[in-house]
Amino acid sequence: MINKDVRGEEMEKQQRHQKVSVRSEPFADKVSTRIWEELASSDNPYIADSSRCHGYDLIDLMRGASYIDTFYLLFRGELPSTDERQLLEKLMIGLINPGPRHPATRAAMNAGIGKTDPQHILPISLAIMGGEHLGAGEVEGAMRFMRRHRREDPARLVEQLLKERGEEQPEEGDWHIVPGFGSCFGSVDLMPSKLVTLLLELPGCGEIIKWGARFSAALEKHNMGWLNVGVAAAVFADLGFHPRSGAGLFQLLSAPGLLAHGMEQANKPITAMPFISDKAYTIDYD
Amino acid sequence: MTKQDTTLWDQQRNKIISKKGGWLIGDGVYCHGYEMMNELVGKVSYMQVVVLNATGRLPERRLAECIEAAHICLSWPDSRIWCNHIGALGGTMRASSVASTVAGVLATDSRSYGIKPLKAGLSFIQAAMLAFNNGVSVADIVTNECAKHGGKPFIMGYGRPIAKGDERVPAMERVAKNLGFPVGAHLKLAYEIESVLDERFNEGMNINGYMSAFLSDQGFSPDEVYLICSTLVASGVTACYVDMRNRPAGTFLPLRCDDVLYQGKPHRLLPEQKEEL
Repeated sequence: MINKDVRGEEMEKQQRHQKVSVRSEPFADKVSTRIWEELASSDNPYIADSSRCHGYDLIDLMRGASYIDTFYLLFRGELPSTDERQLLEKLMIGLINPGPRHPATRAAMNAGIGKTDPQHILPISLAIMGGEHLGAGEVEGAMRFMRRHRREDPARLVEQLLKERGEEQPEEGDWHIVPGFGSCFGSVDLMPSKLVTLLLELPGCGEIIKWGARFSAALEKHNMGWLNVGVAAAVFADLGFHPRSGAGLFQLLSAPGLLAHGMEQANKPITAMPFISDKAYTIDYD
Repeated sequence: MTKQDTTLWDQQRNKIISKKGGWLIGDGVYCHGYEMMNELVGKVSYMQVVVLNATGRLPERRLAECIEAAHICLSWPDSRIWCNHIGALGGTMRASSVASTVAGVLATDSRSYGIKPLKAGLSFIQAAMLAFNNGVSVADIVTNECAKHGGKPFIMGYGRPIAKGDERVPAMERVAKNLGFPVGAHLKLAYEIESVLDERFNEGMNINGYMSAFLSDQGFSPDEVYLICSTLVASGVTACYVDMRNRPAGTFLPLRCDDVLYQGKPHRLLPEQKEEL
């Protein structure tokens, strides 16, 4: 028997909702873009006779610009300087492969060995790469953090953050004290600092990368430091990319490695990857 | 260099300790303590199992029916809706139905529509309930929430883009009533908030507001509802995919070059080309 709430019953009787009607919001007549212009051929308005990226003809870019130039142009609206081009290219090499132990790569490999359609391997792994732990989901926060604090003394900021956020540290596992910085398998991750060492030597290295390196050094005694996502965020911020673009840019830069590892597994038998035995699979309900 | 403590990770290597269940080959398939083939299959609804997998609790069938009805309310075959539009684009370019449906579902991880606002709706009404129980009046709850948005009537679960009013609310009210659910404390408060909003701004409750309050009355947390509703829009996306999959490729809202308004830089030459001139 259902115990009816008397007040609720009254509400049911009384409640009258608005009649559904159109708001007539002023939606745009056309989609608009500042990035790409397509000029129609004279005999078919659906066929582009030329395409321009921020005003530059695509064929001209193919002739006279590098891939990195055009990549930068797409997002920033202008061609990069020599220093900016070099900085972005070095980062793209540094982040080209998250490696076979990264969860996003493992998702690609799993899809590959599972004989998932090849065109799905990249989207699958990129979706996982969107995560907030060592993934693209951490980049925007890292960019905003460094942009906001780059005038502050890094050592003092580390002490302040430890004081303010110390209680947030999980009892076990890694802790990212701020997006882009933290511990990795209980240690300071080494490869990000090696990437940064090289970036610091470049003429295009900007103030945020330099500040991030000092912040990372101040974290070291607390067993934390740069993470790859933080390095990417620092470079993106110095190059003037918008923080909201950070996640997608990080995914783009990681994509070659994800796809390569996924495809490597695609022709192997399903037995070429471990399948946890029954003995090693335990059900332990809370 | 000091050897770091990696015990946490070492303990998890080459083994899985599941808190949810699994397939014990030759024995059975287990799901949150139930033996699936004998205790769940044919005995409970699919939506009951969806809730079980998301929360660890097997709800009564009528509650699952209510949640299922909400899925119908939030997944309709109109390809103008953003997630469904993605499904239609998948159909027109001959992507697979799985890819298109999943892409549409992924689009609902959005600040504007889909599941995240539902989660935010539960957070709002549960916080409002707390405030109300602490003596804050309904009028003040509305004032305080609107103040966060410059005095505008932006309250999660109320108002709606494109249209005013929401035909899904009376539909869900009917479902809940027929299944014997009374109006609980959260829903009662949600109605009172609606009355204040209607009076002040001529805005009403939307499906999000109704479901947030209803599911709060059923004891769900915002995170649990987000998990339960992960694939909320899937069916409508599939419908829009199929609609376009069955027509000539590339014919869904085709765009002529001049259908896109270019607002960027005019034609220019590369620096090297300028030097040559």
